[in-house]
Amino acid sequence: MRNLFGHSSRRLKAAIAFPVIGVVLFIISNRVDELRVYQGANVAVYVVAIISIILLTGYSGQISLGHGALMAVGAYAAVLSQVYWHLPIILTFVVAVLAAAGFGAILGTAAGRLTGPYLAGTTLALAVGLPSLANQFGFLGGEQGLNYDVGLPPTWLGADFTQYKWFFWISALAALMVTWLSFNLLGSHYGRNWRALRSNPTAAALMGIHVGRSKVLAFTVSSGLAGLSGALLAMTISLVTPSAFPTSLSFSIVTGAVLAGVTLLTGSIVGAVVLVAIPEITGALATHLGGSEKVTSNLPGLLTSVLLIVAVLLFPNGPQAIMKRTRKSSH
Amino acid sequence: MGRLLNTILIGVSGGSIYSLMALALVLVWRSTRVVNFAQAGQAILSTYIGYVVITHTNNYWIAFPVALLAGALAGALIDILMVRTLMKRAHSGPVAGIAPVIATLGLLGLIRAVVGMIWGGDLRQFKLPVSNHGFTFGHNTIPFAPINLLIVMTTVVVMLIFSLIFQRTNLGLSLRASAYQPEIARLAGIRVDLTRTIGWAFAGAAGAVAGMLVTPTNYLSPNSLDLLLVSGFVAAVIGGLESLVGAAVGGLILGISLALVLEYISSSLAFPVAFVVLIAVLLFKPSGLIGAKRTRHA
Repeated sequence: MRNLFGHSSRRLKAAIAFPVIGVVLFIISNRVDELRVYQGANVAVYVVAIISIILLTGYSGQISLGHGALMAVGAYAAVLSQVYWHLPIILTFVVAVLAAAGFGAILGTAAGRLTGPYLAGTTLALAVGLPSLANQFGFLGGEQGLNYDVGLPPTWLGADFTQYKWFFWISALAALMVTWLSFNLLGSHYGRNWRALRSNPTAAALMGIHVGRSKVLAFTVSSGLAGLSGALLAMTISLVTPSAFPTSLSFSIVTGAVLAGVTLLTGSIVGAVVLVAIPEITGALATHLGGSEKVTSNLPGLLTSVLLIVAVLLFPNGPQAIMKRTRKSSH
Repeated sequence: MGRLLNTILIGVSGGSIYSLMALALVLVWRSTRVVNFAQAGQAILSTYIGYVVITHTNNYWIAFPVALLAGALAGALIDILMVRTLMKRAHSGPVAGIAPVIATLGLLGLIRAVVGMIWGGDLRQFKLPVSNHGFTFGHNTIPFAPINLLIVMTTVVVMLIFSLIFQRTNLGLSLRASAYQPEIARLAGIRVDLTRTIGWAFAGAAGAVAGMLVTPTNYLSPNSLDLLLVSGFVAAVIGGLESLVGAAVGGLILGISLALVLEYISSSLAFPVAFVVLIAVLLFKPSGLIGAKRTRHA
């Protein structure tokens, strides 16, 4: 009874919370200036990407240093389906999810048998090598890339409804849906299986959990989400190029996930805000301190890396682990 | 026939550099159980230091040992400043196993950013230490040049020095003992922490040599060694990730097979081939082609 009640109250809370958040976001997007709206869209893109890492690393215990490459797979699938098949925009996002998930399933089948260092190295190899493949196949558009156009906002939204606001609406809606779905997924028996797997694979197997299949499933779902965030990222810059998916993108979203506390779904928003704020902060720092182009262009990378190292050294299990510990000790 | 031989020679030259990178990864893996992705950063930093020495002295042979020492020093410092803290803190919790990997990733980004701040992102080139015009036999000029010979010879010398250290000295014995069983090594009176630092220094030096050897035939930029890191990792995996001999052989296998594919099939396939080799080895021979006796550790 308690279980049933606990579950339904959790579901109920979520069912109320998500529309409320949606409405709040809608109101905010009408009150702030264009730049903030655009940054809001970026935050939403990163939320999706970070959740994909949280599902994978925080729950199933696998690591991927190559989610930037999976984002590229999603973005290229979306743009190709638009350019060659003329699919409507909403379907290109679906294509992005499916293509990246399919790619992830193949990779995950190999990866399901890989542990720690092997998986990390393999995915890193992807992040380094995959985006550059676009330069070698003509139909992928080379270094110039392919234009990805989600179109103007529908006219019924009014004449003063800007393009950036449209980007924000699309990506915020996607982020909300992804968060809600992940929330439910982790509450289901799949989520429980993954947690069991992460804590002790042997015990999980003895409990009747199919270890390999569970891991591949986690990798597939995570890849699909990465693909979606890749397509959303491409939307915000209206372009798909290899240089939009550098290795540093993979590193950034891992950083975001670590800052989010890799097991905390709602932490993804914190991680995403930090990632969007970093260029802003370093930009302000650079104009304040002066300094050459060499220094300013590398400040964001420096700050991201320092944050990552500090976070891993100080709270390897996420900031909330420390809070939990202090709460326990205060009792 | 001549074409095949030439391709294999070029493959050996490329593979030598992969072997050195693989050696650097294996040395750290054995002592710390971490695949050190920052190795690309350490190598690029050492190579830039070598570059500065070259531009000042106009002499590759002075720059080489300086870069090597810088690499060793950087490796030792990273172990002392970062890895020791990490080992103490991250031993429990959901991400304990992957925290060190993430930390080396952060370090890679950090070193890259610092290198970019100092030297900028422009592509730079070394003055060649020896000619890159192929050897001539009678009327035939082969692609294999003095620079390739230098690469192979240097790699052989470095490998020989390492195997001498590991097989014939007390230090090598401590290194092997700490890698094999840290607790027991400590009981036997070996200072495991210090030994690990030395392992990191050796790895840093090997990475620096790889950077100094690959750059004359390429260009230098803050991420010009990323692909080398991937190749080194693939080579290390082929060799089983545990064995120094495996690293050397793995590098050669990868170098020769890449050279063959590039020569006979298509020059745009370098990355896909390396990746397919990696996946194939991991699927069918996860303990590596060399270290077949040992089981893989997670």
